Order: sequence, then structure tokens, then C-alpha cells
Amino acid sequence: MNRNKGVIGFACAYTPLPLIHAAGFQPYRVLPNVDCPDQAGHLLHDNLCPHVKRVLDRAMSGLLPDLKGMVFMNSCDSMRRLYDAWKAARVGRNVVLVDLPAVATDSSIKFFRDELEGLSRTLERWDGAVIDEASLAGSIGLYNRISALFTELRGKANRSALKGDSAKLQEAYNRASISSPEDCIDFLEALLKEDADIQQGEAGVPVYLFGNMLPEPEAFALFESCGARIVSDDLCTGSRLFSAIETGGGDMLLNLARGILERPACARTFSAERPGSLGDDVAAAAKKTGARGVIGYTAKFCDPYIARLPGVRESLKREGIPLLLLEGDCTLRSIGQHKTRIQAFVEMMR
Amino acid sequence: MMKEYFTDLEEGIQGAIRGGNSSPKKFYTLELARLGRRLYSGTDAIAWCGITAPFDLLNAMGVTSCFVEFIGAMLASTGVVGSFIEETDHTGYSSDACSYHRSVSGAAIKGMMPVPEFLIGTTNPCSGGLAVLENLACRFGKELFVLHIPQNDSAGNVRFLADQMREMVAFVSRITGRKLDNDLLRKTVENSNRACGIMREIFALARHVPSPAASRDLSNFGIVMALFLGGEQAVAIAGAYRDEFRRRIDAGDYGKSGGKFRLLWIQNRIQFRHGLEKMLEEEYGTSIIVDELNDITWDDIDPENPYDGFARRSISIPFNGTMARRVEHLKKLAREYRIDGAVNPCNWGCRQGTGARGLIENGLKEIGVPVLNLEVDCVDSRKFTEGQFRTRLEAFMEMLATRPPLWR
Ligand code: SF4
Ligand code: SF4
Repeated sequence: MNRNKGVIGFACAYTPLPLIHAAGFQPYRVLPNVDCPDQAGHLLHDNLCPHVKRVLDRAMSGLLPDLKGMVFMNSCDSMRRLYDAWKAARVGRNVVLVDLPAVATDSSIKFFRDELEGLSRTLERWDGAVIDEASLAGSIGLYNRISALFTELRGKANRSALKGDSAKLQEAYNRASISSPEDCIDFLEALLKEDADIQQGEAGVPVYLFGNMLPEPEAFALFESCGARIVSDDLCTGSRLFSAIETGGGDMLLNLARGILERPACARTFSAERPGSLGDDVAAAAKKTGARGVIGYTAKFCDPYIARLPGVRESLKREGIPLLLLEGDCTLRSIGQHKTRIQAFVEMMR
Repeated sequence: MMKEYFTDLEEGIQGAIRGGNSSPKKFYTLELARLGRRLYSGTDAIAWCGITAPFDLLNAMGVTSCFVEFIGAMLASTGVVGSFIEETDHTGYSSDACSYHRSVSGAAIKGMMPVPEFLIGTTNPCSGGLAVLENLACRFGKELFVLHIPQNDSAGNVRFLADQMREMVAFVSRITGRKLDNDLLRKTVENSNRACGIMREIFALARHVPSPAASRDLSNFGIVMALFLGGEQAVAIAGAYRDEFRRRIDAGDYGKSGGKFRLLWIQNRIQFRHGLEKMLEEEYGTSIIVDELNDITWDDIDPENPYDGFARRSISIPFNGTMARRVEHLKKLAREYRIDGAVNPCNWGCRQGTGARGLIENGLKEIGVPVLNLEVDCVDSRKFTEGQFRTRLEAFMEMLATRPPLWR
């Protein structure tokens, strides 16, 4: 297949990366942690999430690679408005909004499958390759390999055997989200082979981290400098983007749709049969990983999380697991401001 | 408290109407009071829903259904919303969220929301609205059905939503034990079509120059009428407005509304009592003659096969889909109503609505219509400083006065 058809931007962990790859493109995540002038306010209201505003800042400042197109997912109101503003900021460029159901029922998975088929046609119009079952299965296989490598890497970080610890792991997530899967596999394999001295001394307090946008490796270094050890994460900019897709047989688009919708969910996706289950899921994950406490890190103005955090707080309280909730604006400065609270939280758990 | 409030309201308005003091607005408010009373009666089967649920279909199944934001608006209009919002804030719910949802959550925590039989969430218009329904389902321990409203009316999208609505009917039947009667459904759809036909007439009359619509006549009208669709009362309310608007035009009776400037109000009104509309009318001879949601954006629904029509209707709401589509709709209204200026209240906490404040402003500017962006919480009166908004509106009026007329 003809690779190197160019780069396709994306901004959400629900983006079907294997599909973009199968069309011959390299997916590139437009991360919010790039310094650029604050201009999004010309088009977006101040009360939109900072993730969305920073992505638009990058577009308005031209701080992007040469994109063949941009794929947005209809994950929340802010993302929908980002799509609108992006179109206005980059007139005439390729951009698409893919609809994304809020619940993973059979009919919504089928609907999402059709949306993915529509995206395949769009990618073809953007000079992408025609996607067939074999090419899509191949791309899903590559991303599943990445998922497996990240599982190993997380294990290594947990054994304190990864040089640079969880900050290094986050760097790997960031790099993976802007690289081709082939390159990504190479560097993850190299990273797994790298030796690191198993650190001696007092181990950090095991903490489970959940939330949405936290791409800054410095934030992880800060958690560790405060005495925490991140034993597992559930973040849009972390493990969630690279969770495995079950392929099995049959229609690959349907498999991909199901795999994406049934992934560990961010707050915007939920189960209508188990309303309010995010709290219980976070508590269960924290217990499973042996965490002594939970840190929730969410972007300010994120409605999906705002509405669910009280429930998470209640569930963790019921389970006797301490919780620290932090809100950020996708800048290092805002993370640094939380240092004292993080230290106090970790001290309280020692 | 709410039950008494709605009962007193109903009795008060009935008394006024009996005493000869009737107006279309009174008929409309009477139905609001009746809906509120039924919701709090403790005897009706009720459902809490998202804004774009098919209320006529639910009415046909004998379910008193209502979007939850209605309660937020009611609490705001009665001036008691603050304590409900505080209740929500105490749970750690951020004050950056929409106050419609914060007040409804507070009402549920305080036990002021009747327990529904079930809930219907809709993905349109907003992520916050769907989330609050999930939370309520959890709090009440009741089943939730989610309608995913697609972004446009492609054939596949209409089919998908129509199928979900059929599934919803099976869901409601399972819970209530009531089957959908096809004859009743047909009659309901016919009533909806009749009411919407008359609403089109009302809106056509409101476009008259001068407009017979005063600022408060049709506030919240489009969005709330959806709750009454399917019943005779929607037809009666619409008919009363149409007749009154015709009468005003025939008699040249424009009251305070025949004013100098014609305003378009974007999204929802400010729900608590304030003096801005009065000030605009009395001091500047200016009326809000159209609200963004006061439009029928769908075709008549086929009574023999209504599901595709229900689906198209939910998809067509201006808050759904892309901002380009929404701006086109606003431009259409501005042209049809010969609007001089638009006011966007930018309800704090509403990502979907005010998110693209700049795009709305730029879009209307393209056809020469200036937009005044206010930064107001439309529900939480505690943050409202009337003087500040007066100054902004006064400056806007002065600016309009210095411009050459747009449409004449
Ligand atoms: S952080 Fe929240 S509001 Fe922002 S894009 Fe993600 S889900 Fe949407
Ligand atoms: S104001 Fe906005 S966020 Fe609030 S209920 Fe309405 S659409 Fe939803």
C-alpha cells in the first residue's frame, strides 16, 4: 500500500487511528501543551475547555505540521464548537466531524460503524488509499501491538525500572500520538530494552490517576517529587488512546466501532444500564492497582467530568479511598500551583 | 412547595380568566401551571427528559413528560433558585456548569423533584443536559433511555433516530405496562401538526412591521410549546396567540411593541425577573420580536408513519449540528423579521450555545446585524447586576440609533 500520503490531525482519544493509518495517512495528535499566543477567544467563548482553546490557538498560530486534514470527534459540546471554529480559522482546509454515540448499545455501535465508513470515504477524497478489510485489520494489528507494548512499559514503570518513571511513560504516550505506528513500535521496543537502575530508597505512595487532559511529562515528575507513585492511569492523553481493539472475524469497521466505544470510557461515554457507574469504575480500578489514593485531573469547564465528579467522590468515599481533585488549564503553571495540595495529599496517605 | 406553587398559579390564572382578564399569555401560563401540577401530583406517570425528546409521542403513551431544564427555569422565575444551586455546589459540582442543571440537581438532592417512572436522555442540545439525566437516573434508581440525535438529516441518520424512537416506545411500554394505541398516535400527530401550523401563522404575523409581538409575549414559547404538542391545549394556546396578533394588526394596536428597533434574542431568555425588557420597551420603544427557538424548523409529520418525522424534527432544532447551520438559521430569522440588532445572553456554563459566540457575531455581521454579547447567567439571579446590563443595552440602543436603517 502507498504509505506517506501525509499527516492527518486529530484531537480526541476516540479517534479511529487504525482507520486513518489504513488510508495511508499518519495520525498526528494536536496536543494542547505547545506554547503559542492566546487567540482562541476571538472565536470561542472563554468558558470552553482549555484543551479545545489551546488546540485552536495552535491552528490560529500556524503551529501545526502540514496537515492533509483534521478529524474531530463529536465527543462533547466543546469539541463540536472547536470543529466550527477550526473551519473558520483554516478556511478551505480539509476537516471532518465524526459523530460519536454517548452509549455503546448495539444500534449505536452500528451507527458509529457507519460513521467510520463515512470517514473512510472522506479520507479517500483527501487522496487516501481505499481501505479494505485486510488493510484495516493490519492497521488494527499494529495499534494492538502498541497497546501491548504500552502494557509492558507500564509494568516496567511500576517496577520502577523505567528510567524517568511515569514522566518518561507520558513522553512515550505523547510521542506515540504524533508518530506513525511503525515508528512508535520501534521506539517502544527500544525503550523496553533500555536498562535502568532499580531505584532504592523509600517507594512513593501508590496513586491511581484518572481524568482527561494531562500530556505534560512535567506533571508526572511533579507527582513523583511530591512522593506519589502513579501505579496506573486512565487519561485521554495516556492509556486510553492506545487500548486494544478486539478484532475477531467479520466486519472490521464494526469491530473497530465496538472496540472504540467499549474502551475504558472517559466521562462523555456511559452505560445507560449502569447510570453513574464512573465512580464505581474508578474505585474498582484504584483497588485493583493497589493504589492508596486517587488523583483526578480534569480540564476546567469540562462538562462531562463536571457532572460526574460528585459521583466519583461519593464512590471513593464509600470505599474509603482518599481523593484529590485537581483542575487545570493545560499549562504547566496551573499544574505547579497544585504542588502544596499534592504534597499534603501524599503525606496524609503515608 | 412546588405542588402548592403550581396549584396556586393554576387557580390564580383561572380566576383571572373567569374575571374577564384573559390573554394568550395567560392561557399559555395556565397550561404551564397545569403541567407543573401534574408533574408534582404524585399520581401521574412522569418522565424526566432531555430537551429534544418527542413529547407528543410520550403524551400519546399517557406519560407526563418534561425536560428537566423546565424546573430550573421555574425555580429561577420564582426567585428561589439560589438555595438549590448551593445544594449542588456542596456536592463538589463546579460552578462553571450551566445553572439550569445545577438548580435541577439541587432540587433532586432536596427531594423537590418527583421520582419519575423512567428518564429519556437526549444528546442534543448539550453534554451537560445528558449528564444530568444520567445523574438523576442514578439518584432515583430508575431506568434511562438515551436518544442519540445525529448531527444532520441524512437518510441513514433519520432512520437511526426513528428506530431509536421505536425502541423507546418498547422501553416505555415495558416500564409502564401501556401499549401505544395507533389511533391515539395518529390523532396526536394530527394535533401536533395543527398546532405547528398555527404557530407558523403566529410567527408570520410577528414579522409584520410594526410587529404585534411585545417582548414578553413569546418568551420561551417555542421550547415550551414542545411539551404540549399532541394535545388540544397546544392548538388552543397557539390559536389564542394567532387571533390576538391578528386583532392587534387589524386594530393598529401595537402597544409598546410597535417600536423603533426590532430585536432578535439568541438562545434562551433570562429566566428570573429583571427590568431589562421593560426598559427597552418603555425607554427605547424597542421590542424583542423573535427568539431563536421560535420557529418551526420541520415539516408536518405523517400521521400514518410518524417516526421519520419525529426524528427529523429533533434533528432540525437549531442548537443541533454545526454552527454554520445555526448561523444560517439566525440569518434567516434576521431577514424575515427585519431585525435591527440581536442580543446573545451567552448563558454562563453553556458550552454548546455560547461556545461559538464569535462565529455567531461574525455571521450576523455579514448581513449587517450587530450583536450585543452579554455575559449573564440566565438562571442564577444572584450574580445579576442589572445596572451593568442596562448600561450595555443603552449603549447598544444608541449605536443602533446612529446607523442607517437596515431594511427600510
Ligand atoms: S476535556 Fe472535556 S470538554 Fe474538553 S474536549 Fe475533552 S471531554 Fe470535551
Ligand atoms: S443553556 Fe446550554 S448547557 Fe444549559 S441547558 Fe440550555 S443548551 Fe444546555
